[in-house]
Amino acid sequence: MSVLSALDRRHTVAPAGFNRWLIPPAALSVHLCIGQAYATSVYKNSLIAHFDVSQTAIGIIFSIAIVMLGLSAAVGGTWVETNGPRKAMFVSACFWGAGFLVGALGIATQQLWLLYLGYGFLGGIGLGIGYISPVSTLIKWFPDRPGLATGLAIMGFGGGALIASPLSRQLLSYYDSGYDPSVSTSIADGHALVLLFVTLGLAYFAIMMFGVANIRVPAQEWRPDGFDPATVAAKPLVTTASVSAANAIRTRSFWLLWIVLFCNVTAGIGILEQASPMIQDFFRDGTASAVGVSAAAGFVGVLSLFNMGGRFVWSSASDLIGRKRIYLIYLGLGMVLYALLASVGDSATWLFVVFAGVIISFYGGGFATAPAYLRDLFGTYQVGAIHGRLLTAWSAAGVAGPLIVNGFLDAQGEPGKLTASAYQPALFTMVGVLAVGFIANLLVRPVPERYHEASAPAQPTAEAQPTAEAQPTAEAQPTAEGEPTGAPNTSKEATA
Amino acid sequence: MSEQTQRIRLVVSWLLVTVLLGYGVIQTLITAAKLFG
Repeated sequence: MSVLSALDRRHTVAPAGFNRWLIPPAALSVHLCIGQAYATSVYKNSLIAHFDVSQTAIGIIFSIAIVMLGLSAAVGGTWVETNGPRKAMFVSACFWGAGFLVGALGIATQQLWLLYLGYGFLGGIGLGIGYISPVSTLIKWFPDRPGLATGLAIMGFGGGALIASPLSRQLLSYYDSGYDPSVSTSIADGHALVLLFVTLGLAYFAIMMFGVANIRVPAQEWRPDGFDPATVAAKPLVTTASVSAANAIRTRSFWLLWIVLFCNVTAGIGILEQASPMIQDFFRDGTASAVGVSAAAGFVGVLSLFNMGGRFVWSSASDLIGRKRIYLIYLGLGMVLYALLASVGDSATWLFVVFAGVIISFYGGGFATAPAYLRDLFGTYQVGAIHGRLLTAWSAAGVAGPLIVNGFLDAQGEPGKLTASAYQPALFTMVGVLAVGFIANLLVRPVPERYHEASAPAQPTAEAQPTAEAQPTAEAQPTAEGEPTGAPNTSKEATA
Repeated sequence: MSEQTQRIRLVVSWLLVTVLLGYGVIQTLITAAKLFG
């Protein structure tokens, strides 16, 4: 058996007695690595100084990566589903690791376009493939607790920034004695940046390969001990039918869920993108704020923890409460909390932190619960590919959220002089955005039978591609994801 | 895969994840403490 054929789905079928709890750490080893994407601001200033270019020129690197994330997840979803998680995770590790190495070459040779090509383009493909690669496998291993399983993995994406931020600072400090990791404006030299990129690229590749080695798919008829699929199918909105990715995007429910995710992410980014200046502005008296720059960085750290914790806690809770109900909580209670933040958020710092923290936990929960919601509606057949297509809502919200907030704030005055009242128009707009998502979620219905596969399809394999589905009549026209978990930084890394 | 091999893989896998996440959470808590400091 060649090395590459060992990556095929048919060689990753778990033997009898395989412990399914090996799968979450395999998935986490990928998500903890690709979550680095939201810690790029740590070395942003150093890159600006090294290339002697504008903030925008460096910011584009991150934008390319996020666009490629959405595109590769949407386009590569079916390939991931067909070829299995091991090959997908291997491809992701190669792209992600190579992205850092090509980026390092760009820094060493002062060629910015190589950084765009490396970290942005290649790394972005690694991000998209890596994000969706373990999702459908986890759902198949945990048919009794899909929310918990996907919550664990997607929590890792949030955790990745928590790891990468302090690690990058400490590595830069190790490679450049003039760099002070405790000062956010400190600049590292080009040599240290090259070594940082090489170190991260190699380390992430090695950790992701750990996941590649351990990932397995369950045998076709495998079920957890004591699990009865009939008990799952008895819940509202949960199907035992199979819907292909091609058919899923023709259903009204897919696009309603797209709107739900778009609204939830747009609103969350409203706070995340502005977290550091926002808390300072809310407690500003004249030109001075009661919250200093250092405390504001602490606030970003608190939000990061809520973001990561919300992914696991709320997604796990959705297994008990139900997917539709938990999104009603994210969106409905989110509306109330946004309104409270706008109206009484400036009365006490702790109150502001609690409101914002719970809102961000809902934001993270929305990401982590989405795959399980898709499983409920469309079955497990091509849930990874459907998830990939849904992630385009993330890309769209990553543009819309900051545009809404920055648009309102620009009209209110200059940065550094804003107060709590300046945020009210933006925050109340987010209440409206969440209301749209709330209504969309209420309208989600089971997928009509005409979209179901005629018979239960076998596990997709690279040898036997899924058959083309019958073309159902269009039910609804398509209307139309930064996810930050921020790391403890005062900048936009928290926008993911 | 023998049961013992599987158990070793299980322990090593979760240990790796715990160490990585633990490092990130502790570092973030140190930063977050500045909010209340």
